[in-house]
Amino acid sequence: MSWSHEYLIYDPGAINRSELTGLISDFQRFSIHDGPGIRTLVFMKGCPLYCAWCANPETIIPRPEIMLIPHNCIGCGKCIEACPSKCLAQVDGIVSFIDRDKCLLPECGKCQRVCYANAVNISGRYLTVEEVMDVVLRDREFYDRTGGGVTISGGEPFAQPVFLMELVRTAKILKLHTAIETCGQVNWNIFNSVLEHLDYVLYDLKHMDSRRHLQGTGVDNRIILENAKRLGASGKPVRIRLPLIPDFNDSEENVRATAEFIAEFSNLEALDILPYHRMGEPKWGQLHQEYKLQGVVPHNKERVFELADIARKYGIEVTVGG
Amino acid sequence: MAIKIDVSNLPGPTPRVEAIKERFVKTTPEICVERAQLITESYKETEDLPMHLRRAKAFEKILNGMTVFIQDDELVVGNQCTKPRSAPVYPEFSCKWLEAELDRLEKRTGDVFLISEDKKTVLRELFPYWDKKTSNELATSLMTPDALEAQGAGVFTVGNYYFNGVGHISVDYAKVLTRGLNGIIADAKAEHKKTDLTNPDDLKKMHFLDAVIISNEAVIAFARRFAVEAERLAASEKNEQRKAELLEIARICRKVPGQPAESFWEAVQSFWFIQLVIQIESNGHSISPMRFDQYMYPYLQMDADITTERAQELLDLLYIKFSEINKVRDEGSTKAFGGYPMFQNLIVGGVDSEGEDATNELSFMCLHATANTKLYQPSISIRIHSNTPAALYTKAAEVSRVGLGMPAYYNDRFIIPALLSRGLTREDARDYGIIGCVEPQVAGKTEGWHDAAFFNMAKVLELALNDGVDALTGKQIGPQTGALTSFSAFEDVMKAYKAQMEHFVKLLIISDNACDIAHGQRTPLPFLSSLVDDCMIKGKSLQEGGAHYNFTGPQGVGVGNVGDSLTAIKKLVFEDKAITLGELQKGLATNFEGLEMEGLRQMLLNRAPKYGNDNEYADMIAHEGALIYCREVEKYMNPRGGKFQPGLYPVSANVPLGTVVGATADGRKSGTPLADGVSPVSGVDQSGPTASVRSVARLDHVIASNGTLLNMKFHPNALKDERGIQNLVGVTETFFNGGGTHIQYNVIGRDTLVDAQEHPDNYQGMVVRVAGYSAFFTSLDKAIQDDIIARTEQMF
Repeated sequence: MSWSHEYLIYDPGAINRSELTGLISDFQRFSIHDGPGIRTLVFMKGCPLYCAWCANPETIIPRPEIMLIPHNCIGCGKCIEACPSKCLAQVDGIVSFIDRDKCLLPECGKCQRVCYANAVNISGRYLTVEEVMDVVLRDREFYDRTGGGVTISGGEPFAQPVFLMELVRTAKILKLHTAIETCGQVNWNIFNSVLEHLDYVLYDLKHMDSRRHLQGTGVDNRIILENAKRLGASGKPVRIRLPLIPDFNDSEENVRATAEFIAEFSNLEALDILPYHRMGEPKWGQLHQEYKLQGVVPHNKERVFELADIARKYGIEVTVGG
Repeated sequence: MAIKIDVSNLPGPTPRVEAIKERFVKTTPEICVERAQLITESYKETEDLPMHLRRAKAFEKILNGMTVFIQDDELVVGNQCTKPRSAPVYPEFSCKWLEAELDRLEKRTGDVFLISEDKKTVLRELFPYWDKKTSNELATSLMTPDALEAQGAGVFTVGNYYFNGVGHISVDYAKVLTRGLNGIIADAKAEHKKTDLTNPDDLKKMHFLDAVIISNEAVIAFARRFAVEAERLAASEKNEQRKAELLEIARICRKVPGQPAESFWEAVQSFWFIQLVIQIESNGHSISPMRFDQYMYPYLQMDADITTERAQELLDLLYIKFSEINKVRDEGSTKAFGGYPMFQNLIVGGVDSEGEDATNELSFMCLHATANTKLYQPSISIRIHSNTPAALYTKAAEVSRVGLGMPAYYNDRFIIPALLSRGLTREDARDYGIIGCVEPQVAGKTEGWHDAAFFNMAKVLELALNDGVDALTGKQIGPQTGALTSFSAFEDVMKAYKAQMEHFVKLLIISDNACDIAHGQRTPLPFLSSLVDDCMIKGKSLQEGGAHYNFTGPQGVGVGNVGDSLTAIKKLVFEDKAITLGELQKGLATNFEGLEMEGLRQMLLNRAPKYGNDNEYADMIAHEGALIYCREVEKYMNPRGGKFQPGLYPVSANVPLGTVVGATADGRKSGTPLADGVSPVSGVDQSGPTASVRSVARLDHVIASNGTLLNMKFHPNALKDERGIQNLVGVTETFFNGGGTHIQYNVIGRDTLVDAQEHPDNYQGMVVRVAGYSAFFTSLDKAIQDDIIARTEQMF
């Protein structure tokens, strides 16, 4: 987490702000793999999908939540003293949840306030469009020199449609290059009205088979595929992203189906195959949630390149790793 | 008719280059005793002579007596020692440390040198002659007790020039190429004719000019020895092609550097002889070729016979020669100068005297030679200005991607004004190059004393928070500026810091000037002086103030720690009132031992903003902390009539200087490394490279005219394609536009470094950027290796 100093301490008062706010889980400056040039990523919290492989699981739930990093804990016990609802305790001298359901967030956050070691963290800050833009605009010169800009990611940006709309509209007024990373599970009318203010779309296709999609993500792919088709005819540059998950969507059949589907798009820049990695695993533990893919082994390089070659046969540009 | 060179498609290394490089990498550094033997004999013979003549005669004796050899397949010849990568001994500067460490050389943890028992005996027998005769011993006698005490406490170190030659210079190579050393000799003789020996200054000048003539003639004779050796080898050579090469080498070595060069090969050979013998006359490092692409270009243009392949091959071979030069340092210094560095800095690009772009084909070829040879010498640099061609920028970024930490990028837009502010003419400022790590100057006119000291800014702050008492020893070494708990406002802290700074900068000045005077009296360098204006006209060596421009440049180290410590105090003590000065004092005194103090440390670490994260509050305090040092330094003059000018770069001294600093208010534990250069403290720059770059640009780089240094580390993934190159250019340009002067990129993954630490045998040839220079990673001390690994890696 890289909160600039002014947002370091979670402020429960922010939920009652009169201005429009969005729930932001993080920023990542100098992002170079999510759209052209040097970019700043804005992570919005909340997602209609629930994917077991999610590398940013703290962005799924649309509320601020506590993340415990036991590695940082010095065992001072201040957080436990501060917690009014007794949901934390020390286990072997290190902070741990005993009853997460009792946590009073978003109204509380007292434990984080006293944890100087950053063992207790809170994911999620309610920020105004202006506050988000303050961070984004800091790197304007980098964007201008490299064709970069801002990428709204998450979570699912469309899960906060009003804020998203205001954010990209403002960004365009400020003449920033705008991109979005989305799973596509949103009403097309909303999508289309935001699309007007976007220069670039990164769009996930997690499975072409609707039943399997439902099993893996909690929703079927009907809306996602329909929106993808419309997007594919919209003229906006699109990159399709396929997070390659072992034993879920890594069959040749699914890769072929994906490639065949998107080869029709008039505005396709590329298919990015994103090989499964375990970098998100610790975050599941920090959220006190089970990581269901424990022990799943990432593909070997050769297999990923084979699948990329299969996709290329459909006459589309394919990259590995985005 | 000049050759047409396609800079977008330069040739890779030839089999000859590959073979010679492989032979080089397999060579183990050894100690060579020839120079020590010859200079000792000469000094014994010349005790009645004036010092300039003694130096010239010794130089002549060394060049006449040392072993010369030509290696298989070499086209550029000239050796420093009996073997490549061996290091000579320079007892006239200092030798007590070497005597004490003779048995450690093979056993130490970094920069190992082999030495046989026989050679140890040779050295042990000659060292007693040098007792009390070295520049080091004279310098000590010139220093004051409090200056020596401050050095002992690690407030600053002047070790570089205290124990060694000064170096840090770039001579007028163009003059040698166009007029030959015969031209220099003619100038000396003409100057000689002007002397009026009844004038006492001219009497001294005469001896100096005589020394110049003897030295220059000795170099011409030295080159002829290689001609003789080449002819000897040719006589028994069976391979006709090699025989022809040897005869050509012989012809060239009879001609240059005495006469002007008339082809590219002749120019390369002439250049190399000069570069080499300067490093035999003295062991001062950072003998920098600087704008090689400018003064060598005419010889590439005039060469009707040469092919692109041969020209590139000659450059590649020259780069291997650069890497053959070596220097043995004391074990303490190897912590600050790890990895056998010689800092021969070669810079390409930039503007010409009219301010127009000076890029030519050779600029590309020089960058390309680094990619071809993948060695750590020369230190390759590039000057960036508003009209740097995109192709050259891209070429540089491609070389950055190779992962050698080179080239380093320099910003004409801010360095030229910085040099103007130090009194250089516009023409000279535009012609600047880089000495050693990051120090700008103009070649052939400057004695810059750029690495005059490493000054421990973090230690000064420690003393300010501790009433002038050294936290590690309990001794009162600084003025009493008040107990920490007596401060009632942040301004009081700053006042104490300033007062301690004034005191210790004074002691630094005394120490540097003592060394400076000692070099002038005991180790003037007539040959080197003959290649720098205005020594011959003034009749003075460089060491006595003969140069046109004279500077002394001591480096402040620990900008990030000072900034973060002051920020934490201002924010947490005086603004938030989250901690008291008493608690802070206790934390610092106990090195944050115990749970309660660890909590305090975490607060200092995580609840105050940190320099390097694009936070103006923290960045401006770092700016002020550095500025207080810089303003203090630039008040003073050196014995050569020049000004002191501050720099902010550490080489790798941030590691040893950290060992003498107790716990700091930024949450740093006692004894751990300080921040490197103007880079943020390791691990706290969590907002990524764009934020770091914006923070660093907030420092005053113009006042730190002796150079600043920003190390950025990139994962190879970040630069894997064209987009990555464009992004690197974007980062550099934004930093430079914001006021930065230097940036360099280390493009090696953390995993690779950790693996190299565990399996050094698999990574023998791997070069990394240390601070202002590159070195073989495996030759570095483990603490420096750890520091490189720990510097925040920009992962994507």
